[in-house]
Amino acid sequence: MKSMLRTLCFIVLLPALMPAVAGDMPLPGDSVYQLDARLSDQEGRALEWRTLRGRPAIVSMFYGNCHLACPMIVASGKALQNRLEPRERDAVDFAMISIDPARDTPAALRDIARMHRLDTTHWRLLRPDDADVRTLAATLGIRYRAQPDGTFNHTSVLVLLDRDGRILARGDVTGLQPDPGFVAAVQDYLTGTSASAPNPISRPKESP
Amino acid sequence: MLAVPIIATALLATTPPAVHPEFVAIPAGEIRSTVRYEGDDGKRRVAAYAMSPRAVTVREFEAFVRAAPQWKRDRVPSLFADSGYLSGWRGAGDSGVVHDDAPVTHVSWFAADAYCRSIGARLPDWIEWEYVAAADATHRDARSDTRWRARTFDDGTPRAMDAGAGAVANWYGVSGLHGVAWEWVGDYATLLADADKRGSDDGDRLQFCGATGLSFANRDDYAILKRVALLSAMEPRSTLGNLGFRCARSSP
Repeated sequence: MKSMLRTLCFIVLLPALMPAVAGDMPLPGDSVYQLDARLSDQEGRALEWRTLRGRPAIVSMFYGNCHLACPMIVASGKALQNRLEPRERDAVDFAMISIDPARDTPAALRDIARMHRLDTTHWRLLRPDDADVRTLAATLGIRYRAQPDGTFNHTSVLVLLDRDGRILARGDVTGLQPDPGFVAAVQDYLTGTSASAPNPISRPKESP
Repeated sequence: MLAVPIIATALLATTPPAVHPEFVAIPAGEIRSTVRYEGDDGKRRVAAYAMSPRAVTVREFEAFVRAAPQWKRDRVPSLFADSGYLSGWRGAGDSGVVHDDAPVTHVSWFAADAYCRSIGARLPDWIEWEYVAAADATHRDARSDTRWRARTFDDGTPRAMDAGAGAVANWYGVSGLHGVAWEWVGDYATLLADADKRGSDDGDRLQFCGATGLSFANRDDYAILKRVALLSAMEPRSTLGNLGFRCARSSP
């Protein structure tokens, strides 16, 4: 009787326990998408951090006004993308998150995308709300410190997330080429999952 | 059998609601920080802000998790807190702690950050904390007093100078900064000490945008050295039995 009641309770309560993402399994406890954060992309479109869920992603944090490590982060991400087989390449998105939302406006991010000739069907340059920079960095294990001259010291790293936002691998960025161990981790993961990957970054329809 | 829930309800009903303390206005000023970066002189300007005169208590944190059940021990995602989170509490939303006004500990940085946001505040920055913690009861900057400084060696232990019930507020009217529990700061992750690979000579400097290591100006500033060593070893989801927090607010 007791267990039947419990089952009944469970069935009744189940919909209430489901996350907002309709039709999805509950988010794993260690998913970075547990964090509520609002961002906008290089086109100025607002998006919730958790809507990145659903596709594997390689993420990092950077800032536009950076002349050494940050271009290297983007370059090594691109180099990594080029090492992937077409099918793998299609199965993973890149998200570069600014630690300097005051200066990295959508226009500035668009310039960076253009400068690096980024394929924006797979790359997003994201500007978080001011209040969310620190928690996003904490979530991704990225440390940064603002310098008096307006630059930042920060961890230069590429982070591989599975489609549910669990951190699978990290690769230190120390040059234009990605860390070989990290490339192997990305390839291993994508080989196992690319067959069933949903569509790349979905584009909202242009309003007429 | 029925008595237990009835007693529990009665206890709940009689628990006085958490009353947040009035924040104390901290005037702007300058401090020579013990923490140095890239060989700078440590001189930092601190803007005026407001700080809680004491650490967040068990009672206050209990009220928070009741209002925001996603921060209960049995609900919190592992992303935001390790398995020690609120350990020792009788139930997920119930501390069972008799001395409710004790500083809450076993809280992660994420939880501390969420708590402060929930009352329209934020965690203090490291420099704001260091600035106010430099004061004793009568001096705004007591750090040249070697006896006072030596006593700060007991910070984070039951022997700490602010651990006792009779501990007085400091020059700013703030209490407990050198208490039984350490405190999170909002930008604790900027305290990149030796745990990072930055000190090595194998090119890891490039892991940061031109960064070099943090150093200390005064080897005898125990309170600061111990605190930085501790905080820099923490992950934002880490919890400790002697690590709590307090909140701050920027001046409008």
